[in-house]
Amino acid sequence: MTTEPTETTNENEEWEPRIVAYCCNWCSYAGADLAGTSRIQYPTNARILRVNCTGRLSPEFILAALDMGADGVLVSGCHPGDCHYTSGNLKARARWAMMETAIEQAGVDPRRVRLQWASASEAQLFADGVREITEQVKELGPIRSEWK
Amino acid sequence: MAQASSCWGCFQSLIDIHMNLATVLPALEIKFWVCVVDYKLADLEGYPDKSIAVGLFEGVVRTEEDLHLLKTMRAKCQTLISFGSCSCFGGIPGLANFSDIEECLDVKFRENKTVSGGEVPSENVPAILPVIKPNHDYVDFDIFLPGCPPTSKLILTAVTALLKGEPIELEPHTVCHYCDREKKDTPVEKILRPFDGNADPDRCLLEQGYICVGSATWGLCEGLCVNMGSTCRGCYGPPPPIMQDQGANAMSMLGTYAPLPPEEIKEQVKDPLGLFNRFTYATSHLGSIRIKREEAKKK
Ligand code: SF4
Ligand code: SF4
Ligand code: SF4
Ligand code: FES
Repeated sequence: MTTEPTETTNENEEWEPRIVAYCCNWCSYAGADLAGTSRIQYPTNARILRVNCTGRLSPEFILAALDMGADGVLVSGCHPGDCHYTSGNLKARARWAMMETAIEQAGVDPRRVRLQWASASEAQLFADGVREITEQVKELGPIRSEWK
Repeated sequence: MAQASSCWGCFQSLIDIHMNLATVLPALEIKFWVCVVDYKLADLEGYPDKSIAVGLFEGVVRTEEDLHLLKTMRAKCQTLISFGSCSCFGGIPGLANFSDIEECLDVKFRENKTVSGGEVPSENVPAILPVIKPNHDYVDFDIFLPGCPPTSKLILTAVTALLKGEPIELEPHTVCHYCDREKKDTPVEKILRPFDGNADPDRCLLEQGYICVGSATWGLCEGLCVNMGSTCRGCYGPPPPIMQDQGANAMSMLGTYAPLPPEEIKEQVKDPLGLFNRFTYATSHLGSIRIKREEAKKK
C-alpha cells in the first residue's frame, strides 16, 4: 500500500483534526445515515468510509491512514453478536487488541484510534463516538506536528 | 559485494553453496568484497560508474560510512541487489528504532554494564545516524532477495539466473504453501506461548494456538522452520508486493483465527510489534511513523 502523505493544509490556518471513520455497511453506516437524517449535530471532522464489515479491515488500513497523516481513525461496527457476517466484528476486536498495543509500542498515542459499536438505530451513539474521538485528537494536536 | 551494518549471515549463506562455488566462482570476477578479496573502499570508489555488472548489498545503514558505501555501490553497479532482510526491510537491526538514539547509545556505550566510564567513541569510527531508514529510501534497487539469511539454495538459483542473463523467477507463495502440517481451518481456542505444552508435530501450529506468521510471510525458504517443528518468525518478510505491512497482515491473520476477548489477547500477545514486525519494523507503517518522528527530533 502506498503511503504518500497527502497535502498538508496551510499551517497558519486554524488546525482541525482529520479523522478517517471506517463504518460497516449494515450497522454503523446506517447509524451515521440516520444521524444525518435525524439532524443530530456532530463534528464534521470525520470522513466516513464504508466497508462491508469491520472484519474486512486489516490493521494495515488503520495504520496506513495514520502514516499518511490522518490525525485519528475511528472504526465503528455492529455490536458483538450482531454482525451481519456473524463474527467479523469479533475478529476486528481481536486485531484491535494487538494493534492498540503495537501503536503504543511505536510511541503513538492510542487515543488517536477508537473502536466502537453502534447499530443502525443508534444514531446518537454514533455521533457521540465521533465527538469523543474528535475531542481526544484535538487535545493531542496534529499527528504531523510530531514529524517536523 | 558490500556489507553495511549486519551480521555477515547472508554472505555466509552465499559461501555455504559449497561445492557449487566451484562452478560459480570461476564465472565471476570479484571487484570488491572486504574480508574475502583484498580490495579497499578506495578501489571501489575509483571504478568508473556502472562498470560492475552485479552488486550485492547486505545490512542496514547505521553509520555515515554505511550510507556512503550504499551510494557508491549504487553508482558503480548496473544491477544492485538488496541482499537479505536487513537490506530489504531493516531486519533485526531495524528493531533499534524501538528506542531513540540516545537510549541506544546509553545501553551500548555510556552505561554499558561491562565497562566503567563508558563514552560514545568519536575518533576513528564513522558517525552513527539517528535512526535506521530502509535502504530503498536512500537508493533504488533492481532486485530484492530477502531472508535472514536467504537460503543457499535461493542464492544459487538467483546467481545462476544472473550468470545466464535470465530474470530471477521467484514464486509468490507464503510459507503455509510449503508447510506439510495438516490444516483443519479450526479457530484457535487459546493463544499459547512457545513454552506452553508440546505441539502436535503434524498439525498446523497456528491452529494449535502457537503464533506462527507463516501466512504473512514470503515462502522462499520453502517452509524451513515449520517443517522442522518451529513456528515461522517471518524472516523473509511479506510476500509480493513485498513492501506491504507484514506485521499488520499477521495481526489480521491471528485475529481471524483467534477471535478471542481483547483481555485474553493482550495477556498472551505481550509484544505484538516485535513479534509481527520482527524483520520489517523499518518498512512497516508504525515503523515509518517512528522514523519520521526521530528525524524530526534531530532537526
Ligand atoms: S538478514 Fe539476517 S543473516 Fe543477513 S545480515 Fe541481516 S541479520 Fe544477518
Ligand atoms: S500457519 Fe504456520 S504451521 Fe500453520 S500452515 Fe502456515 S506455516 Fe504451517
Ligand atoms: S519458516 Fe519463517 S522464520 Fe523460518 S526460514 Fe522460513 S520465513 Fe524464516
Ligand atoms: S457487518 Fe457490521 S461489523 Fe460485521
